[in-house]
Order: sequence, then C-alpha cells, then structure tokens
Amino acid sequence: MTVRDRLRGGPTILAMGGGGFTMEPDNPALDDFVLSLVDRPEPRVLFLPTASGDPTAHITAFYARYARAASATHLSLFRRHGSARTLADIVLEQDVIYVGGGSMRNLLAIWRAHELDELLVEAWRRGIVLAGLSAGAMCWFAGGVTRSSGPLEVIEGLGLLPGSFTVHADGEPERLPVWLAAVRSGELPGGWAADDGVGLLFRGTRMVRVVSSRPGTAALRADAVGDELVRHRIEPELLGVDPTRPPTPATLPVPDDIRELRELRDMRAAGGLRRI
Amino acid sequence: MEAGNPLLDDYVLSLAGRERPRVCFVPTASGDADHYVVRFYRTFASRCEASHVTLFRRERGGGAVEGDLEAHLLQQDVIYVGGGSVVSLLGAWRAHGLDRILKLAWKRGVVLCGLSAGSLCWFQEAVTAFHGAPTVVRGLGLLPHSNCVHYDGEPERREEYRRFVGDGVRPGYAADDGAALHFVGRDLRRVVSSRPRARAFRVEPRDGDVVEDPLPVSYLGDMARDLAVA
Repeated sequence: MTVRDRLRGGPTILAMGGGGFTMEPDNPALDDFVLSLVDRPEPRVLFLPTASGDPTAHITAFYARYARAASATHLSLFRRHGSARTLADIVLEQDVIYVGGGSMRNLLAIWRAHELDELLVEAWRRGIVLAGLSAGAMCWFAGGVTRSSGPLEVIEGLGLLPGSFTVHADGEPERLPVWLAAVRSGELPGGWAADDGVGLLFRGTRMVRVVSSRPGTAALRADAVGDELVRHRIEPELLGVDPTRPPTPATLPVPDDIRELRELRDMRAAGGLRRI
Repeated sequence: MEAGNPLLDDYVLSLAGRERPRVCFVPTASGDADHYVVRFYRTFASRCEASHVTLFRRERGGGAVEGDLEAHLLQQDVIYVGGGSVVSLLGAWRAHGLDRILKLAWKRGVVLCGLSAGSLCWFQEAVTAFHGAPTVVRGLGLLPHSNCVHYDGEPERREEYRRFVGDGVRPGYAADDGAALHFVGRDLRRVVSSRPRARAFRVEPRDGDVVEDPLPVSYLGDMARDLAVA
C-alpha cells in the first residue's frame, strides 16, 4: 500500500443513471461532483470508454471536460497506446476511474479477457474512486438491465455492490418494468433505478448520498417482500455548478449520438417528426 | 483495405468464386470504429454485397446487420475481420457466441480472412503486443499453428515469437505487413503479397534452436501483370 493509497477515503463508487460529460455537454455538475470526491489538487482521472468501443467523440469530450482540473488520461482496449506499461501500472496509480456507457455485455467480457476486472476490484479496495454511467454504473452491482444484444434483458455485473441497478429510468422508461419484474421474481436482488442525471454515492457497500445534475429527477428503491414489490422514491440533492470553474470551451465536441438525439428532439418540438 | 493497393482485396474476392460475392465485415477488434466501417464500404461496396456486424450498438443498428447474426454470417461468401486488439476481439466474440458461429461458417466453406488481430484469431496460439510486453493468447484454434503478424514492423515481436516457440508455443507462421497466408483446411496452400518485398516465415524448433524458414511468396502485382499479358 502506497502513501497515496492510505490518504484515500475507502472504497467509493458513484453510479450514475446517465449524465456527465458524454451525455450533458453543457452541464458539468456531475463531473464536478466526481472531482469533489478526491481530496487533492489535480487528481489523476482515467477514462475507460470500453463499453462503447472507445469512440473518439467520447474521448475528446472527456479531455474537454477533465483536462483543466485533473491529470486526465484514457485507456483504450482497442487501439495501441505504444506504452510498455502494464494495465496494473496504469490502473492502480489513479485517483478516479471513470467508466463510460455502452454495451455492458462487451464491457465485462472485454475486461475479463484483459483481466482488468480483477484490477478494478483491487482499485476499489484501495479507495480509488470508481465512477460511471449506464453500463459503466450497472457493472459494479450484482446485476442490471441491458440492451447489449438488442432486446432488454437482465445481466449479471461484477457484484462489488450487493444490489441491482437500472439506468436511464426517465430517458428510456421501457427499462423500468423489465427491472421491476426481475426484482419481483427474484432474478435480480432489490436495488435502485436512477434517472438521467442522478448519481448514487456508495461508501463501501452502503449508499450514502443521492445527487442530481437535473431538477425534477429522482432515484427509486425497489425490493421484493414476499410477492409484493415495495418501492419508494428518493429525492436527490440538486448539484450546483462550481462558480469558480472555468467555462466550458465553446469548441466542446458533441458526440454523434447526442447530436442525433437533440436533432430528433428539436424535430419533435417543431412537430416535424412523423411516426411511420 | 490498404490505401491505393487493392491487390489483397482482389485476391480475397477471387476466392469467393462468385461474380458479386457477399462480404461481411466484422470490426469488433477496433471497437466497431466508424471510420473503419466506412473504409470497408468504400473498398468493397461497389464490387460486393457488402454488410457489417456490430457488437457494440446492437440496440440501434446504424446500418449493421440486425436480428439473427448466425443466419446472416452463414450466408456469406467471405467474412472479413478487421484489426485491433485480438484479446478484446475474442472476449467480445465469446460473449456473443460469434466464436461458435465463425467456426461453423469455416466448416461450411465460408472464406474467413482478416489482418492483424483478424489473422491471429484463427490460430491456436497468437503473439500479441497490445499492453506491455508481447504475450501469447489462445485464438479460436481453427488452424493448429501459432501466428505472428507485423513481423517486419516490430523487431521486438520477432525476437519474442522465436523465444516463445523455443519455450513450447507450437510452431507456426509469421507474416510481414502486406503478406497473406492462405490456408485450405488446416494446411498452408500459398503465401501471396501486396508488396514486392513482403516476406513470410515458418518458425519452428529444430536441433535445439528455433529456425525461421522463409516461405516462397507470390507478389500479386506480378501475377496481375502476367494475367494482363496473357
């Protein structure tokens, strides 16, 4: 254990239902919150874009958001970085590891193929903050709900956190009934659903805070009790934006999928989208 | 898909035995990189029934094959596997059952081809150097040999490959950039190249040492010229 390890705050995971730099180009609230979890100037933040195949748009969005306040790097498992350093060297020197969204099935399979799953468990034990959204959030739990093979289905995670987690509860409402049915049947343990913008903070395996970058959002806790499903809504703390933070550069690239979504939304708003 | 050099692409298509072959691109090893998919269509779409498979965006298509991947892949004349990380490739394939489907396609006579990770994956053992020092990984094992690629580009790989074979990795084949090993069944039929000086080697232990025997390489540029004259 290094001095750096001893200074850390114990195992910490921030699981986001959506949001952050890949989904909210104009709202740094969740990214600021990620950085606030590390008590040191210029923390080392590593981005793992594995779940979506390391798209350039996500990587550039990461640097645009994090490079000013942190020592930011990314790790590709598809493109060579020309470094002789091992994955262990790279992963275990970080203060934060941020996992992007995408295909959870691919994420876990590829991590396991590289034995990166074991390194991330070790990083968690050492108190390196694990943060992520969507597939990059569900992966830490016992299980979640994914579209990795097309249709929605239950998927097992790494199990660091002993509940289940489902994401985009407001943005993709069709996920929620699949998750609730799995919790009711016992296929998944009880757990949480999070709207886009909502983050659940875990210290060890205990959920200690719920935060959000967007007003009007919520988290949901659901458990099976006998044949009944017991649910309750959790109101998040609405995050403010740090007023001392430099403004986001105007040239921040917008990822293709976000741009498409926005175009669709604008077309809908203009009444121009016809249903076929 | 070498820029400005169609020789290996022409050779692959000639193996399909059909005027307008069905060619499916599998870019998993690159993380389904968009620019790579575009390059595939630019190269092949005018001459083939071209399609591609994505394992990262199965929920929203994006022009990729949707629905039954097995049925689609088994209908192809050629399956073209792109480069990238062979470890990530095999991990993702196994998670989606593509390893099994591709073995079945091979048994049914679909031509399987690929470069770099898309070459290594077919062999029993493969030398990869993605993170840190070169290591040996198990491929799909259709070809009961070992394989090393970019043999001219990275001198370290050459040394390591010979050391690995000396330490018990099965004998196999090494190829320079631009050299292609053409197997029929499990046996090497010929070596062709898109570059006049590209080489390939059989690497095996002999008399307590590891020897590198150069293989005869047919430069496809010469063959094309001969055909034009004839």
